[in-house]
Amino acid sequence: MGMTAFEKIVARAAGVPAVKPGDVVYPIPDLMFMHDGQVGSTKEELDDIGIDKLWDPSRVVIVTDHDVVYTTPKAAQKGMKIREAVKAWKIDKFYDIGAGGHGHIFPMEQGLVRPGMFIFANDMHCTNFGAIGAVALRMGTEIATVIARGTTWFTVPPTVRIVFTGQLKAGVYGRDVGYRISRDMVDGRLFGGKYSYRVIELAGAVHDMDFSNRVALCNSPTEIGVATLFIPPSERLSGSIPFDGDLDLTALCSDEDACYEADEVFDLSELEPQVALPGSPDRAVDVSEVTGVHVHHAFIGSCGSGTYEDLVIAESLIRGKRIAPGTRLYVAPGSVETARRAADEGLISSIQRTGAIILQPGCGVCSGGKVGPLGPGEVSISTAATNAPGRMGPRDAQVYLASPATVAASSLRGEIADARGLTAA
Amino acid sequence: MISETWLYEGRCHKFGDDVRHDGYLMTQQYVTDKVFDPEVLKSHVLEEDRPDFRTSVEPGDIVLAGRNFGKGKAHVQGYIALRSLGVGVVCESMPYLSFRGAISVGLMFMANSAGVSDLAADGDRLRVNFDTGRFENLTSGLVRDYPPLPEELRKIVAKGGATEMLRQWWTEERARAVA
Repeated sequence: MGMTAFEKIVARAAGVPAVKPGDVVYPIPDLMFMHDGQVGSTKEELDDIGIDKLWDPSRVVIVTDHDVVYTTPKAAQKGMKIREAVKAWKIDKFYDIGAGGHGHIFPMEQGLVRPGMFIFANDMHCTNFGAIGAVALRMGTEIATVIARGTTWFTVPPTVRIVFTGQLKAGVYGRDVGYRISRDMVDGRLFGGKYSYRVIELAGAVHDMDFSNRVALCNSPTEIGVATLFIPPSERLSGSIPFDGDLDLTALCSDEDACYEADEVFDLSELEPQVALPGSPDRAVDVSEVTGVHVHHAFIGSCGSGTYEDLVIAESLIRGKRIAPGTRLYVAPGSVETARRAADEGLISSIQRTGAIILQPGCGVCSGGKVGPLGPGEVSISTAATNAPGRMGPRDAQVYLASPATVAASSLRGEIADARGLTAA
Repeated sequence: MISETWLYEGRCHKFGDDVRHDGYLMTQQYVTDKVFDPEVLKSHVLEEDRPDFRTSVEPGDIVLAGRNFGKGKAHVQGYIALRSLGVGVVCESMPYLSFRGAISVGLMFMANSAGVSDLAADGDRLRVNFDTGRFENLTSGLVRDYPPLPEELRKIVAKGGATEMLRQWWTEERARAVA
């Protein structure tokens, strides 16, 4: 019996010939990720126990991406504590404010995270790394155990597969597919509803999708409760990530006789742009069902839509136009490098001329109300990774999710709009 | 039997499917601010939708929920609060990350109890043995056996969660270093 790519990568990290679903394993991670929100409590936890050195500091990556501006003295003080922890723990892979950007994007762009790696992280959206064929699992507060001991347990999840056929229509993107497959998994159309703690392997036409679409696909279903997502890497990624031509791609694909718990086919050619209704990312409907809903607030960025390609799509739609009066659009490039490139190429000034607000690279508005929150009763459309009540401020604020194109078009109209109708208007 | 502290008896606080953690089990602010102090958190668990929960709840009470308990962001503040109040949880299912989070903070719970929502009403008197998986509705007299947490995971809960496991590991490491 062969193994899936996920199983092969886990087996290698766990130092065993093979793994199968249900096995309890203790893999040794190639990298361990922690973001700024987790460092303080983790340091306190280890200090309290008396653990003053990490298992392997060279494999620990600390990224400040949630609170990158310090809008309060308290936030600045938290930054001081993070720097103290980094020094005490002797960590060299530290990306302070202004240094890296979003910890789920720039590590792929810079080649820090590479295809085939096995990673533990504190944050659930580490599933992003599946976009380039790396495996990342979220450990939450247990990241303290991971950095101290160098491993922790998990149960190998079953893998299910979606094979994509057909081609996306113009104006339909990875985000749209991501929200739609989330809906189809939750309502039982895919896998009979058995998606919880499954590895979702994406195959078929996804092979030819670019970095931004792959990231969006690996990001959108995270919060419905999947274990992680995985896309076999392909040559299509070259240009977006440092791509080693000698990389053995077959080693990072599932075996022909790998065992999937379930296998589904999804036709891309009929899909319309999707909007996820307030509440959760799986509440997807065709954009036509919600066009005309007034929006006060719009946001393009976050771990799922913060790549250079996302910025290019958004800029191309709003270039030379004005954001609707009464609507504010925030744009957060995902990485410092993307922000620099966009500035050099004139994209940033073009976006600013529309009246939009450029934020520092990082999570942007999606970090939990730290910057650019909503007021009571306000309505937002955004590319955020989550739209749970209260995530962007008041609980009665409404957050719709969509692709960068739909958000850009909606910010021009001041209401939810189909980007494909933009030029005709 | 690991110890008799695995036997809970108290009032049923009943919830439906899809109880989310952020903004329901725990007020968003305490999640965003990364508050982990049980003394702070226990005053805010479920405060937005059941403002009387904190005053009505007593040690031994059971939160009874349907499928997908702990939906959305897999944060743990709500479980820390429930544990510190001495409240156990019985639900039909939990997303894996929330399940793991609940173990990591030492919550007393069972998350593989299909159909349990139909076995009790809000306010019923319940007795639950989290070591054996026996669920008893003392009000109706109904008894049902469910799978408890796997033994390996019950050991973590018994210890008090992941931090206490780490503390034990470190103590043993240092003892080995000295020896």
